[in-house]
Amino acid sequence: MRLIVDGQPIAFEPDDTLLAAMLRADLHPTGGGCLCLGGDCPHCLATVDGVAYVRTCQVAAKPGQVVERQHQSGYPALPETHRPGPAVTALNRHCDVVVIGAGEAGRAAAAEAEAAGKQVLVLEAKNGQEVVGIYHGPLVVARTDEGMLHVHAKEEVIVATGAAEIQPVAPGSELAGLVTARAAGQLAAAGIDLGRVVAVGTPPDGVEVQWVEGEIVYFEGEGQVEAVIIRGADGSEQRLECDTVSLGLGFHPRDALRRMGRDWRVRAVGDAARESDIPPCPEAGIVCPCSGVSVEDLDFIWAQGFHELELVKRATLAGTGTCQGSVCLPYVRSFLADRGQALQPPFTARPVTRQLTLGEIAAGAHHQATPRTALDGEHRRLGAQMERIGGWWRPWNYGHVLEEYWAVREAVSIGDVSTLGKMIVSGPDALELLERLYPTNVATIKPGRSRYVLLLDERGYVLDDGLICKETDTRYILTFTSGGSSHAEMWVRDWAESWGLDVRLLNQTMTLGAINVTGPLANELLDRAGLTDRPPYMGHAPGVVAGVECNVFRLSFTGELSYELHHPAQDSVKLWRALLELGADLGLKPHGIEALLKLRLEKGHIIVGQDTAFDSTPRRIAHEWAVKLSKAEFVGRPAIIRTNKIPLDKQLVGFEMDGPAPIEGAVIWYKDQFAGHVTSSTWSPVLGQAVMLGWLYYFDGELPATVTIDSRPARRVETPFYDKEARRARA
Amino acid sequence: MPELKRLPATRIVATPAALDAAEWPDDTLALRFAPDELLVTPPVANLALDDPHAIIIADSGYAGVWLPEAEALAFLEHACEWELPTQRPAFAQGAVAGIAAKLWFEAGRVLLIVPAPLIADFEERMA
Repeated sequence: MRLIVDGQPIAFEPDDTLLAAMLRADLHPTGGGCLCLGGDCPHCLATVDGVAYVRTCQVAAKPGQVVERQHQSGYPALPETHRPGPAVTALNRHCDVVVIGAGEAGRAAAAEAEAAGKQVLVLEAKNGQEVVGIYHGPLVVARTDEGMLHVHAKEEVIVATGAAEIQPVAPGSELAGLVTARAAGQLAAAGIDLGRVVAVGTPPDGVEVQWVEGEIVYFEGEGQVEAVIIRGADGSEQRLECDTVSLGLGFHPRDALRRMGRDWRVRAVGDAARESDIPPCPEAGIVCPCSGVSVEDLDFIWAQGFHELELVKRATLAGTGTCQGSVCLPYVRSFLADRGQALQPPFTARPVTRQLTLGEIAAGAHHQATPRTALDGEHRRLGAQMERIGGWWRPWNYGHVLEEYWAVREAVSIGDVSTLGKMIVSGPDALELLERLYPTNVATIKPGRSRYVLLLDERGYVLDDGLICKETDTRYILTFTSGGSSHAEMWVRDWAESWGLDVRLLNQTMTLGAINVTGPLANELLDRAGLTDRPPYMGHAPGVVAGVECNVFRLSFTGELSYELHHPAQDSVKLWRALLELGADLGLKPHGIEALLKLRLEKGHIIVGQDTAFDSTPRRIAHEWAVKLSKAEFVGRPAIIRTNKIPLDKQLVGFEMDGPAPIEGAVIWYKDQFAGHVTSSTWSPVLGQAVMLGWLYYFDGELPATVTIDSRPARRVETPFYDKEARRARA
Repeated sequence: MPELKRLPATRIVATPAALDAAEWPDDTLALRFAPDELLVTPPVANLALDDPHAIIIADSGYAGVWLPEAEALAFLEHACEWELPTQRPAFAQGAVAGIAAKLWFEAGRVLLIVPAPLIADFEERMA
């Protein structure tokens, strides 16, 4: 059986790990460094079958595996071509107690929990369940051959991961031929020839060694260790020639999982709960092989005033690398204890303890789903370019934005506005809720009538806008913007509950489709569709359109005669197709969002979130007319009264200029000073010039009349830009 | 791949007491989304509720699919981070494959319900 290492085949034995196979072939995975065979150190990492940072001591050798060694002085090579890895699934399990580690301590803890009637799940790396992190919950995440395992512990997580052996820190510790005592025993048992072995500290089991007591001064050799220099208790140094040095320097708990879960119900047992042996303070050499931190670096940082372990970790990056402090932590603690006279507790651990692929990280995660209206298929069938807008898939255009635009201005068009937020408010306290929420006199809205409203927060800032449509004295329909609908619903519900009002609330955004019929020929189209009794401007009424029961709202965002037909979503396709057919000889073309944005900007209509900022008050956006301060109470009223006393510093205003429209976000200049930015911009076909909305700062108490945008002069003008008397919308 | 279809239903928001006291025809499934909200499928006509301000609307805003229990559970153990009920029948709701879903468990089968505008995303995630 053979596998491939750096392009060359090597043989391996049936029970070999990848590391064992490479050592048999006299290959060290990273070129050097003390091997532990416990998955703790960073010295056996390699890229295996395209996956970097694989601990080769933990992976069984398989025929045909392709291994690229990862030399300790560098990082694994980036793939030359983009090759997406396979998707990794997440499997969820629930239990009372999770035990990590099936050694003696783990088995005992599991047995104890089971005896207490708990549902226990034991995870063991040797069984292919490598725990990589503990998250809030506690949630234990393990890597398995089948994907990522997400274990949700209802009661407790027990860490029984044992102890890791302390690695050497001395000049030459990067040489090949250094192994921990346990590793030496395992390699010898696997039949790997270690040559002449010098054992420092606790000797390995089952290996013939030359045992020596004392402190390591340095390792000697070029690439491969040839000798170790030991200082005895009397201070004399001794040079011992060897092929391998076995290092039994003590143990420290393998407790990173406990440390990362210390605020949750996570505890350690067995050796994972033991105190760490603290090695002598290192005199020279690399302390953290992952980040290349030397004793000299620690001295420098100490001299800079970094004396706390957590700060030293951040200042040097010791403990932040591949092995997450398994090698360096005992030595950094020893160093700080030596300099500061106090042993500091280990630093915090955070997920993950192992390098993961992006697929493994993403397992079980999903991007936010983007809803589609019931007309999504119709738009695509008509060749629409679909975009995510306002949190929905919406048609940007159908290929001919100007044709769509002119259909609205000169004939008739339909647009899918199903995405608008729609909510029913019903109950004896419905009016009181709306009076408290909105800055308008809701009581003066008559049944069958609608009113444009702003939704404000307590600071008087604009959250959203929409309509209040009154059905009866105890029942209203609210509309919100597409993108703000979810937040607005939460806002209304929170206040209704806070005030303890007797209302029923139902969000029917998903339930209802909505089609905007707009253009000077809208009435003719609706006549053909059977709707002859239509509501007046800013009115609403039930009606049947092309056989579909609708709630018909007359309003206008485009500036033309417009009706929104709210209807059951399952009838959207039927209604859409009928309108398309009935309007074909009227010049009807559906319009997308691109045309709609032109049309609304010509009318100076704002889009909350695009034209407003987080601190936009009604006064700043020139919407004082929508706020009735004569009302005794509404959300945001105290803030509005307070801020109204402060001189305005900026305002949302309209601009027009010749030539093409500047980009949205363009900077506005006044006498070479920053004066604001453009929030909406388009070239107006009907006006033959660019029109914009933008934030403009006051200069000496005045808004500049002319500014510079895109290195061209622009004029500040009153909005709307088009049909200032709104004769077309009210026709 | 299972195909989700819009669920014709009646959606009701009313006082919890009124919903508690209401009775539903035997051939319907009444799912209590919240103390004051309920979905009945198929739709019911001439509904009498002891709440004059109740909101009662014909609803097709949700889509659903019935799956054999084993098939549903095999999908849910991958797609669902929260613990599923073991008793039958049972109603549960929460994120499934990242989408707000409702689940109705009966002996031998499960009804998966998601907002109709998310049918495409959910089907893709079930595949």
